[in-house]
Amino acid sequence: MSTVALRWVHRNLFAKPFDTALSLVVIPTLAWAVYAFGYWALVQAHWQVVGGSFKVLMTGIYPADQLWRAWFAVATLCAMFGAGLGLSVRAGRAALTVVALVAVLIAAVLAVAIDVHSGGLAVACAALGIAAWGGVHRSAVDQRIVLSGLLAGVVAIFVVLSPPGFEVWGGLLLSVVLTIAVSILTLPFGILLALGRQSRITSLRLISTAYIETMRSVPLILVVYWIWIIVPLLAPDTSVPGLLRGMAGFALFFAAYVAEYVRSGLQAVPRAQIEAARSLAMSSWTLNVDIVLPQALRVVVPSLVGQILDIFNGATLVFIIGLTDFLRAGQMILADPQNSGRTYEIYVFLFAVYLAIGGAITYASRRLEAHLARGSR
Amino acid sequence: MSTEIAEYHSIPPARRSLLIASKWLLQAAIVIVVAGLVIWLGLAVREALARKGIQFSFGYLGNVANFSLSEGFVPSRGGNWPVLELFSPSHSNFQALLAGLWNSLKVALSAIVLCTMFGTLVGIGRLSTNWLVRKLCFGLVEAIRNTPLLIQIVFWYFAVVLRFPPANAASNWFGGLLASRSGVFFPGLVISERASVGSWGLLAIAFALVVACVALRGLRLRLILLAAALSVLIATAFAGFPLGLDLPVATRFSARGGFAISPEMTALLIAIVVNSSAYVAEIVRGAIEALPKGQWEASASLGLSRSHTLRDIILPQVFRIVLPSLANRYISLTKDTSLGIAIGFPDLFNVYGTVSNQTGRNLEGVVIVMLTYLALSWIISACVNGVNARVNGRRER
Repeated sequence: MSTVALRWVHRNLFAKPFDTALSLVVIPTLAWAVYAFGYWALVQAHWQVVGGSFKVLMTGIYPADQLWRAWFAVATLCAMFGAGLGLSVRAGRAALTVVALVAVLIAAVLAVAIDVHSGGLAVACAALGIAAWGGVHRSAVDQRIVLSGLLAGVVAIFVVLSPPGFEVWGGLLLSVVLTIAVSILTLPFGILLALGRQSRITSLRLISTAYIETMRSVPLILVVYWIWIIVPLLAPDTSVPGLLRGMAGFALFFAAYVAEYVRSGLQAVPRAQIEAARSLAMSSWTLNVDIVLPQALRVVVPSLVGQILDIFNGATLVFIIGLTDFLRAGQMILADPQNSGRTYEIYVFLFAVYLAIGGAITYASRRLEAHLARGSR
Repeated sequence: MSTEIAEYHSIPPARRSLLIASKWLLQAAIVIVVAGLVIWLGLAVREALARKGIQFSFGYLGNVANFSLSEGFVPSRGGNWPVLELFSPSHSNFQALLAGLWNSLKVALSAIVLCTMFGTLVGIGRLSTNWLVRKLCFGLVEAIRNTPLLIQIVFWYFAVVLRFPPANAASNWFGGLLASRSGVFFPGLVISERASVGSWGLLAIAFALVVACVALRGLRLRLILLAAALSVLIATAFAGFPLGLDLPVATRFSARGGFAISPEMTALLIAIVVNSSAYVAEIVRGAIEALPKGQWEASASLGLSRSHTLRDIILPQVFRIVLPSLANRYISLTKDTSLGIAIGFPDLFNVYGTVSNQTGRNLEGVVIVMLTYLALSWIISACVNGVNARVNGRRER
């Protein structure tokens, strides 16, 4: 056993002089970093600050007596994520068990760190998500049913969360809901733009191209800010909530990126398919909707899932229009003099959550890519 | 397309003109709808502004700005020469925007150079034969790509740069580099008092020789040029070297001398370089992996070492492949400098916000800022396309 380990170490770390030199630099540095971080995290860090502000981080300044709405939204989100995972990631029973154990562990830690009430709700939400994963995964429900279920879930979240007003939405909940809503909103607009860019009608093509190129050349923060200031000018009598204006800005911006992805998918559809459909005297509408788009979208699904990560990461920019997203909620907590000096605890927590969600999205898009590649062979 | 032409010729002439007419009508309808939408938007905005008593005009750009920026230079006329001077509240709004553009470009250009260097290193590190280095690079790249840039910027600013020691206790590395809460100070070059026209001329000649040495081919010629440059430099030293090294010195509240970078710029630059390096690393790794394995094997069979193969055979080819992807990365990086607003760095977008708050001119400003970013994107892609044509285009001839 030890000789195997030694041989592995020799082959992987000290095979050549250069590798040895690198290892001699990297190993002590890494050991020091791990020791320093571990010592800080286990001995010096004051993690109670995260537990004490957990509700603000998750839901912003949502009114306490209405908090059940936020929890309903979280439960719906967990179920939606679970169903989505069941649809896309064909995992074995072992993987399911591992995920379930990790989720229950996190929920239990939350229950101890915050209070038993919220902790219990967290356990319930995690359980709901895993049940949805297993249910969709096992029963092989029709994809369309799951997709319409996801759409219904988004509508339900909006309906339930709306009564106290969009202004009180905040925290991680805001970031996630914004991401999902924008991801859905960009699709139809992006597809139309992509079709416009491919169109044989010159003016349509030029206009779509100009729109896409402009949006891709300016920063997202500028577009969001611009939509935010222009909407009250266009609709002076009605006050459109900042969140909806922000969503409009995000959707207009990311639609250009979706359009580019869809265009690459459209170009991947074999030309012969289009010619064959033409020879059957299909109208160009039927041709696009029934023949080209389903194949094109199938190719770009992984890119579109990867795009969700961009939207989620971009959602931090809503600070510019005064919304309290996850990052902003963390900074609000740090602005409280009571929590001064707890910078690292909050940032490490924010970073870990962003990393977990971002990593999950990347993983899902990779799995989807592999899955689709296998399917087309 | 050929099938369509055949189809087209099979249509009788009378119907053909009808078809052309309907096509033109469709085109006109689309243009009218879109133009109408844009005009309606413009009119509605103008009406809304008129209700507030504001007229759409760019005249406000000439007015005095009346606010100050923490950094940023503006071109202005000092005597007969156009000179760069620090922005002050007595400058105009237009000059404020120029100072913001200067700051954005400052960060963007430094970040482009640095992220290309570090990104290539990390990309090679991801393919290292050393397991630990490989995994470490992979972990870093994944962690950076899966978290928002904004939290990285905010983290570098509030948790790192603002935790630097205060200026009077600044950590001093290698005698020349000062890192403190009030900024990072590098040694700078100053023009010494002993400078004469002759020594300037000699320095220019030395510089030209070095440039020629880099640009021209042939080992012998290069060695001769290098020797000539060295001897001219030595001669310059005897004639009174016109440039002197200016080491920063820590004082009570800040530091004096040298070349200073503000804390905001330090944080923004570190964040953008680290973030973009991760993306560049992925681009470089993808390109190296896309090269045929035979290249490695062929050069190994010629007795070249791995590092020689990488430097002389792989990287020159990779450079050609990655150029278009790098252009995209550079454009996103330039756009990302607009996030400096989160930590108060006076970049173009931040200055636009200040100007529009002061004057109430949001829409005029947004037009200017949008056009500027468009122009920057075009310039970057034109530059990279030019390099691309130089590197890739010659093969056809």
